Amino acid sequence: MSRKNVFIAAVAVFAIATGGWLSYQLASPPPIPQTATVLPVAGELAEFSLVDHHGAEIGRDTFRGYWNLVFFGFTHCPDICPLTMQVLASARQQLAEKGHAPLPRIVLVSVDPERDTPEILSQYIAFFGDGNLGITGSLDELRKLTNGLGIYFEKTGLDEEDYSVDHSAVVLVINPDGKFQAVFGTPHAAASFVHDLPIIVAGR
Amino acid sequence: MRRLFLSLLLLVSICACSVERAPLVASDVTITRPIPGTETTAAYFTLSNNTTQEITITHVTSTEFESVQIHESVIEDGMSRMYKLGDLRILAGTSVQFQPGGKHLMLMRPIGDFDAVTLDFHAGKAVMLSVAVSMTD
Repeated sequence: MSRKNVFIAAVAVFAIATGGWLSYQLASPPPIPQTATVLPVAGELAEFSLVDHHGAEIGRDTFRGYWNLVFFGFTHCPDICPLTMQVLASARQQLAEKGHAPLPRIVLVSVDPERDTPEILSQYIAFFGDGNLGITGSLDELRKLTNGLGIYFEKTGLDEEDYSVDHSAVVLVINPDGKFQAVFGTPHAAASFVHDLPIIVAGR
Repeated sequence: MRRLFLSLLLLVSICACSVERAPLVASDVTITRPIPGTETTAAYFTLSNNTTQEITITHVTSTEFESVQIHESVIEDGMSRMYKLGDLRILAGTSVQFQPGGKHLMLMRPIGDFDAVTLDFHAGKAVMLSVAVSMTD
């Protein structure tokens, strides 16, 4: 076989392979999220003035530059909140093991700013891994953030001394533009985030 | 030989009687250490009533925590809520599950440093059951 023929054969093989790959790509539908609801157009956040777990003042720009998994909870919550934080930490760990990049940042917005100081939040979020963000501050400013996102919370008495806070149990995805992109409903499972988040990131 | 056999049989019978099940049993008790920064945690277990009568637990106490409350977490209309339960009724021969995302004991304000927690389940003034368990990390 002459050099010319070898070249022609190589080009033919390349063309067939490329054609096959393209037709496969066009024929198979893109994967869709199984759990998350993705907004057709990512939503702007209202401006707010709260503090992070270091006590530094933050506004809506704090979400920029990260894929944020945002949960609204409080540290005196012994059951649902640590369970959800554990699910998010486990999901991030599994995404890291799969080589997914960028990894999401886990954000806990306290719905109990009365008790959740930056110092307490700082210790709490560190328990669930590095790089997490805790947000607290005044109730008025907190409502500016939550109202626009459809997040509700309400203080309820347990007895004379103790209280709890009922709160929306969803996890929101806020994209690196600082916009509300998707929502994960309950019940939360690490596998849902591991499956859906890469699809949401790729589809942005 | 026959006497030896009868003696062994008697011994086995005595042992069988001595391991008769307690009226109320807590199994698979799990208590994790409070997360740093917090003063609360939850206890999970299965509570079994081995009697032929209903047992009512009125309250639970612990020497290691200032306050112990029987709670139930539920998710209703997308909201996570936590209810404080009153008396806990366990029907004859049944079990009640305390598990993550459901019923749990909320343990509040630890007293000093400790590794093991004692839980006393009260039926009125009587302690029906006392269990001690090491906390997990």
